[in-house]
Amino acid sequence: MPSARRGVVDRPRINGALDAGGDAALTLVSAPAGYGKTTAARAWCETVDAAVAWVTLDSRDDDPVRLWSYLATAVDRVRPGLGRNALQRLRVTHPSIEQVVDDLMNGIAALGSGLLLVLDDLHAVNDEECMISIDYALKRLPANARILMITRADPLLRLPWLRASGALTEVRAADLAFTTAEARELLVVRGGVKLGPEEIELLVERTEGWPAALVLASIWLRTIDDPTAAVRAFGGLHRFVADYLSSEVLAALDDDRRSLLQGAAVLGEFTADLCDAVLGRTDSAARLVELERANYFVLSLERGGWYRIHALFAEYARAELEALAPGSEVRILRRAAEWFQSRGKAVEAIEHFAAAGDYETVAQLLLDYHLPLIRGGSSGTLLRWARVLPDHVLVEHRKLAAIAAAASMQVGGGRMERRRLLRVAQRADDRRPDDSDPYVESLIQMVRSVTIDGGVDRAVRDGRRAVELAGSADEVLTGALGAYSRALFFAGDFEEATATALQIIEHPQVEHRTPSLVAACVTLALVAVEQGRLVAARRHAEKAREAARRIGISRSWLGGNAYAALGCVLAAEGDLAAAERELTSAEHLFADEVADLHHAWVLVVLARVRLRRGRLDTALVTLAAAQEALDHLPDSGIVTAVAGEVRRELDALQARVGSGEMLEQPSEAELGVLQLLASGLSTREIGERLFLSPNTIRTHRRTLYHKLSVHTSTDAVARATALGLLTQTESPR
Amino acid sequence: MASREYRLIVEGELSDLIRFEGMALTHEDGNTVLTGYVQDQSMLHGLLTRVSDLGLTLLAVTAIDGHRVDKALGHRLA
Repeated sequence: MPSARRGVVDRPRINGALDAGGDAALTLVSAPAGYGKTTAARAWCETVDAAVAWVTLDSRDDDPVRLWSYLATAVDRVRPGLGRNALQRLRVTHPSIEQVVDDLMNGIAALGSGLLLVLDDLHAVNDEECMISIDYALKRLPANARILMITRADPLLRLPWLRASGALTEVRAADLAFTTAEARELLVVRGGVKLGPEEIELLVERTEGWPAALVLASIWLRTIDDPTAAVRAFGGLHRFVADYLSSEVLAALDDDRRSLLQGAAVLGEFTADLCDAVLGRTDSAARLVELERANYFVLSLERGGWYRIHALFAEYARAELEALAPGSEVRILRRAAEWFQSRGKAVEAIEHFAAAGDYETVAQLLLDYHLPLIRGGSSGTLLRWARVLPDHVLVEHRKLAAIAAAASMQVGGGRMERRRLLRVAQRADDRRPDDSDPYVESLIQMVRSVTIDGGVDRAVRDGRRAVELAGSADEVLTGALGAYSRALFFAGDFEEATATALQIIEHPQVEHRTPSLVAACVTLALVAVEQGRLVAARRHAEKAREAARRIGISRSWLGGNAYAALGCVLAAEGDLAAAERELTSAEHLFADEVADLHHAWVLVVLARVRLRRGRLDTALVTLAAAQEALDHLPDSGIVTAVAGEVRRELDALQARVGSGEMLEQPSEAELGVLQLLASGLSTREIGERLFLSPNTIRTHRRTLYHKLSVHTSTDAVARATALGLLTQTESPR
Repeated sequence: MASREYRLIVEGELSDLIRFEGMALTHEDGNTVLTGYVQDQSMLHGLLTRVSDLGLTLLAVTAIDGHRVDKALGHRLA
């Protein structure tokens, strides 16, 4: 649990609001920055009659495996053994998060006595699967447990439902805002500032009770001779309160403390050691403790010895530093980067060098660490860093341009960027033709192959070349094989595609080459669907998804491929609604300026699904988008053929609608009713079968008659059979 | 996805100490107006998060050039 902050006002009113939840499973504290959420929660936790397992989340926890490992560890600290089963299951290669949650909930139930699970900074977690797992945990929460969520933005959980069923207690900004009485306690009683009731009220009105502002105000006013006049003047200004107050507080500090706070604000997270090293001091340890006690927004982190400055205040501190002494921010960051580097902390070092604009060093570190980054699912991070590098640095480090292009391929959405990177790599090549490196060459060919800019035949050739070159550079072999096998699939050479994909799976290092594994499984799934081997196809598609999830790349271009594979399988299995969901998810992850062939393939399959679900208009638009992508390419392999098939199906349907045989394609629901009408069931029986009311059945039937231009069910069945509607729902593809 | 010019209005007058990358800052009727080109939606949401993190109250977000349909992504409308 975060340590106590002295000089903080007791707020029995807030404790009361939190207590009012009684036995509600979920208590939610949701308010913007600076509302004292964590402070209030911590104070309340000390009054509850339950053990507390507290986790403070950040973006690193935005993955279900990491999130639940963190939670299980915290629960295990309450009593060793409670989290053991959950933690054990998490170490398995493809853990089922639902089962992990079940294990943890059982562990908590075994405690017997009350447990409060606190999730602080929940807004840092956005991943859909994380939220689903949290929602599941809420459903499975044992009677002796409660959850407290602290967040800056309402989480994507079934809040309205929880509210309606009384399972939710909320404390929001309006509750956390200081009342005049509480402000008086803070400023006059604890702060020792001489203010009358009128000024206090003015202050509360001006700040709208925003706690951060009031704390700033109390620090500021302590240094002022005539606080009453200062408050009156402040009350009349339009200036944003935190802006004004932070400046005043910083101005009132002595130079030494101010420079420490400013330097610390630049560092983000820091220890006393780091401060000393970077700011050339020896007294940071003592000063930081003092500033923390005096409430100068210095916060201790859970990691012993680490601090950060409250972000709100830090912004102003840094801004002032930069305004008064330009270039100091960069100097501080560079020194911090060197400090991290000397202690072997590559990731922090890169962050700080990048922030300091030290591009040469960033490039060198990225080259040294790119393999573990890409294989561990951090292509996005690598790309983010590579993006800050100016072109001339990338030209100097050609290998890095190629690596960044490969990373961009995995992450997705940056075709223009990828082209640029390849151009840069090419430019460097032209300058130094003798410096040829098979690893770099293979990477470049691999990226070209996957991008399929020059058509499928070209992609197959590029892929083959990439594999040949990778013969002397095993690190990129599985990637090259992945590109080659996918190009072969699009070319229609299913046998070769399968053989090539299997080479990836059989590679001795495949456990450490998860991105390539995802690619291989997707290709195998797509081939299997085309060949009608649906059981195998499903197995491959699910494996692709698990692998993507395992290294946290579900929401990337590569992850989108996994959704697409499953979508294709579902479409083939006839589960059109589920297929449309998966394919639409994939589609969103393929977002690019111009659709590439992979995207076009998904669009074609999606068009067919929509067509079969009776959505003629959307199917047309979807197919048109696919066609536009195909028109850009000299040849598109099997995609052209399948697009043609879908086009013909669409045209046939349109013709029937156009000739008046049918006013409009019946919807999936209506077709369902029609099916059962044809078997001679009554309205009531159909309703029972479909779990719908007889009224709904009658409405569907009426619409159906209207669309088919008939008046009786016998006619409807006859007309539908003649139009081929009744057999349609059974076709496998 | 095309870049667009956006206009954000937040409550209160912000000093020019706090920089919002690529955005020009002016004051209007006791509020602060941020104007500038935003590369894409992710950048816009980054800006909005920054606004929230600073404790600012968001009053308005408007795209200035009006609604445009990107041809290649037209199918999204369906």
